[in-house]
Amino acid sequence: MPDTAPALDPVTFEVLRNAVLNATEEMALTVRRAAYSTNIKTRADFSCAFFDTKLRCIAQSFAQPSHLVAMATITPNAVREYGEARFGPGDAILVNDPHRGSSHLNDITCIAPVHLDGQCIGYLANMAHHVDVGGASPASLGLNRELFQEGIIIPPTRIATGGSIDDNLLGLLLANVRAPRETNGDLRAQLSANFVGAARLSGLARRYGAATLAQFFDALIAHTERWTARDLAALPNGSWTAETFRDDDGFSDQPVRLRARVTIADGRISLDLTGSAPQLASPLNCTRTMAACALAFVARCLVSPDISINSGFLARIAVIGPDGLCCTAQRPAPVVGGWEMAQKLTELIWLALHPALPDRVPASGKALIVNLGFGGEDPRRGGYYCYMETIAGGGGARPDRDGPTAVQTNLHNTENAPIEEVEMNYPIRIVRYGLIEGSGGRGRFRGGLGVRRDFEFPDAACSFTIFSDGRRFAPWGLDGGGPGACARYVLDPDGAARELPSKVTVMVPKGGRVSVQTPGGGGFGDPARRDPAAAADDARNRYL
Amino acid sequence: MDAQPARHPHPLYRIGVDIGGTFTDVVVVEEHSGVVQVVKVPTTPADPSQGFLDGLAAAFARFAITPQQVVFAVHGTTIATNTIIEGQGAAAGLITSAGFSDVLEIAYQTRPSLYDIFYDKPRPLVPRWRCIGVPERIAADGAVLTPLDEAAVAAAACRLRDQGAEAIAVAFLHAYRDPTHERRAAAVIAAAVPGLPVVLSSDVCPEYREYPRTSTTVVNAVLVPKVGPYIARLEQRLAALGLGSGLHLMTSSGGIIAAATARALPVHLVESGPAAGVIGAAFVAGRLARPDLGARILALDIGGTTAKVALVDNGVPALADSFEVGAAARPTTTNGRGQGYPVKTPVISLVEIGAGGGSIARIDPGGALTIGPDSAGAVPGPACYGKGGERPTLTDANLVLGRLDPAFFLGGALPLDPARADAAIDRAVARPLGLSVVAAAQAIVEIANARMIAALEFISVQRGIDPRDYALVPSGGAGPLHAVAVAAALGLATVIVPPTPGLNSALGLLASDVKHDLVRTLYRRTGDLSPAALWSALDEMAASGLRLLADNGVPPERRELRLEAELCYVGQSYPLTLPVPAERDGVLAALDAAFRASHRQKYGFASPTEPTLIANLRVSAIGRVDRPAPAAGRPGSGAAAALKGWRNVCFDQPTDTPVYDRARLGTGDRIAGPAIIEQMDTTTVLPAGATATVDASGSIVIDLRR
Repeated sequence: MPDTAPALDPVTFEVLRNAVLNATEEMALTVRRAAYSTNIKTRADFSCAFFDTKLRCIAQSFAQPSHLVAMATITPNAVREYGEARFGPGDAILVNDPHRGSSHLNDITCIAPVHLDGQCIGYLANMAHHVDVGGASPASLGLNRELFQEGIIIPPTRIATGGSIDDNLLGLLLANVRAPRETNGDLRAQLSANFVGAARLSGLARRYGAATLAQFFDALIAHTERWTARDLAALPNGSWTAETFRDDDGFSDQPVRLRARVTIADGRISLDLTGSAPQLASPLNCTRTMAACALAFVARCLVSPDISINSGFLARIAVIGPDGLCCTAQRPAPVVGGWEMAQKLTELIWLALHPALPDRVPASGKALIVNLGFGGEDPRRGGYYCYMETIAGGGGARPDRDGPTAVQTNLHNTENAPIEEVEMNYPIRIVRYGLIEGSGGRGRFRGGLGVRRDFEFPDAACSFTIFSDGRRFAPWGLDGGGPGACARYVLDPDGAARELPSKVTVMVPKGGRVSVQTPGGGGFGDPARRDPAAAADDARNRYL
Repeated sequence: MDAQPARHPHPLYRIGVDIGGTFTDVVVVEEHSGVVQVVKVPTTPADPSQGFLDGLAAAFARFAITPQQVVFAVHGTTIATNTIIEGQGAAAGLITSAGFSDVLEIAYQTRPSLYDIFYDKPRPLVPRWRCIGVPERIAADGAVLTPLDEAAVAAAACRLRDQGAEAIAVAFLHAYRDPTHERRAAAVIAAAVPGLPVVLSSDVCPEYREYPRTSTTVVNAVLVPKVGPYIARLEQRLAALGLGSGLHLMTSSGGIIAAATARALPVHLVESGPAAGVIGAAFVAGRLARPDLGARILALDIGGTTAKVALVDNGVPALADSFEVGAAARPTTTNGRGQGYPVKTPVISLVEIGAGGGSIARIDPGGALTIGPDSAGAVPGPACYGKGGERPTLTDANLVLGRLDPAFFLGGALPLDPARADAAIDRAVARPLGLSVVAAAQAIVEIANARMIAALEFISVQRGIDPRDYALVPSGGAGPLHAVAVAAALGLATVIVPPTPGLNSALGLLASDVKHDLVRTLYRRTGDLSPAALWSALDEMAASGLRLLADNGVPPERRELRLEAELCYVGQSYPLTLPVPAERDGVLAALDAAFRASHRQKYGFASPTEPTLIANLRVSAIGRVDRPAPAAGRPGSGAAAALKGWRNVCFDQPTDTPVYDRARLGTGDRIAGPAIIEQMDTTTVLPAGATATVDASGSIVIDLRR
């Protein structure tokens, strides 16, 4: 583009901003409607994005905050490694390697180029959490020591050429997973979404010209970065430190230290993880990309809600500190449970900022994903089934109001699976699903309540994996507010009631039950100052 | 339309009453002559039925109508939606399966607003202390795992009554599969607390997925004690007047139902108001001398705060199977679910965006020009109203560009101040961007148009529909200001400006059929079903539908059934809806093949071998109602006769532009752009290259093909 190109006029800018975002939204609709697995079609555990030829993230559909940085990191890495020149129209690649900049193996990213008249004008990517990618236990969830035990590792690999799928590669992938029919359907949904997005974007390029589009990308990123910098600069500048712990790595009962130094200066926000525990031989590790998601989430909450999410926003965010920590893990560390680390890290960043932003920081929420994965023989339908879900909990109380009850918090925003849909499709029964009374931390503003969901296996035994945390260190309150209740995981809750660790795979016998009880949020402010009307409402509704 | 009627010796009248936020519109159509007449009276928010009766009395007096001459009366109302939005629903109780009474508190477990730490889920419509679980459980296959504990139901009902419940909702797990427990519970409750309304999930929404079903049931339960008496009161007062017909109400899906049905199922009235507007647009377009021009339309309603778009094929609006009441307008559907209360009933598919005449233009902190979603509303209103509004709005931009006449806004009822519009745009947009005021106003209008174009693409292109096959029908005060520019950008050939764009809703009430939508979850693999089993389910539903039509007084020769099945691949959750072919034996194979073809068209791939599943069956029972036949307009005597004068209007360039008076235009009159056509309730902007012709039906048909 010539240096003398005029600045983009405001109308074209606004039109293209809406159009590109609409295209990623349309991709998201396609993934959701065409997908097969409950985790994607119902729980919406996926995101879609568009990148320009400089591999900058231009637009992202709203879905999972946890994918915010992950896609913006793995997509450029994968495209460069695979080689831009090798992409033809209708081609697509897959990648899921955490140590190439992705999150965990279950998150498979599908990337396709967008062409106009044979010229590449950008890339579409969508990342979706697959129910199973092989490995040691159902849902690829388990307490392992190496990444290799967690499932099939996919480097940037071509899955489609000129619009047709490579059945050899697909066959290899499907042979390695426990729910091949679902995986097959979900991959097709991902490919479809990219085709839909490519049609929309090449249409835009035809209408406005590739040069105008490229000019728009520059303008958009500059606009976003300018605005982000402005909003960050308006926050108190300084450096603040905080420390917390995860319960254990699953192999020992040693707490795992997390330390964060958060700095806001010069219109930037950074997170220094120096002082956190070294890398673990446990899937509680998270990668630097996942840690960056935690920081990006908090930053996104602190700036104007109207700021677009693209590389201009991400340019103002940095995770520093050495590699090889439990939150900057390197190959061959296992990472399937890394979001449990990243969720706690998010709370820790909030905690560090509390002295600087006392009116904007909430008490700690559940600080968990609560990964549940299980599977086994399905005697009624025949064959093997595999299922995963995550359970909501309490949100932390805010400086001016109670915490939200029964929500996903921070990085995580997947829907629940309807009981009726689950029971129609899998040999399981939900026998209880409700709030845990008294689980919210006390305070002038009460923490949100945690949730109890009990599973029964009426037809056959099942391998049940919990990969979570939060049994020992409770969600903290702030300004005198009390902590939320801890998590509990109980085998045979209505009988022997055996407490399970938070990271475990157990065989549940036919007819057996598992109860999952998630933490409540911490309270905010002195409980003695609670409004009597709110206290009466708590009592009447048995929230406390 | 307002020509003096040549009175029929025995006139009969149809009456449509649409209660809006400000005005209650009464539209009267004489059956033989088709003459349409209108009365507007102020809406009476405290008791809307008062405004209804005031309007009726005014219409009767002005047009010398006796109540006995009324053969048909239809009402469109926002009472259901307002009751929910304003938190005025009745105190309801909820009885669920034991262990699951927190279904409303948990909802979808998500945050619709991802990055707002201060976000709260909507407060459950029934508080936790009035939600009670009772022992009972039915499995997914219909097997009874735990029999219903009737004593517990009776105790729960008594407790809820003692706690002040005015209605009881019952929603048991898998009740869509087997309603026996719910029906038994209803009987037990009726015996324990006689007279308390009971609402069953298996009656209101017999579809799987417990949260949306329970929510729909509860919305109905909180409405029954509020909306039921309102409708009953209207019925009584109309009967006391001696009205010659019963009362019908418009539903969210654009059909009408008898008052008695509406009293029991007010949840179907939630989107009654917007539905009537879309039906009205379709009706107007369908009456053109060349029916093909208006067979497929995109309806664009631009109000003060938002714009709404909908798509209509051959008079049938595109429908969605659910929506949320109380949720903010937003065009995205993949996320943001959970902002309001889910209602799973058929609804005219509308996309609403925050861009209307009062939407505020500003420079965002990153330096880009944006419009809305915040609006100056009616107070303080746009800067040019001179009522204290300081910020520039879309209306200010249209005024600066000369598209609005400052002395003829609302027929001159509200004089506008161009200097204030100029100053506001200069301060907030032009100077920061280094543009002239006119260029800034142009940018504001173009960005507003772009948002409307995006909304129109959202309901067409994104569903695989080419908008160029459609005509645009604008309504609302600002609709015809923007319609031609929006249509041109989308590549449409035709814009149809209704005779009175402000009356679409009231007119729509008289242009619809009686319609009852029934649904049943089947959720069986196509391969496991026999044609006999499918037909037995469909025949049963059809019989219920026909019974409802009979109850609504629809004569047999006017009854019609539409049968549909929702299919997906085993494992998918978002089925595609297909018409059920009338083949007794080959029905399953035909449905299966139609599904695969449709899947390929929609998603770009389709497996020929993977098993399919029939999720839900849907039956629409339709009672055909004759459309009114409005009288033809008077013939024109050439557009020149309607020329009011000339003024400077800015299109691409400032242009000396003729201004026409719509009231003086007649059938066949033709105007070539650039031109402005003014009428009491709107202004139509006709750029160069577009040609407007007055149709015999009174609409203006604008041809954009050069």
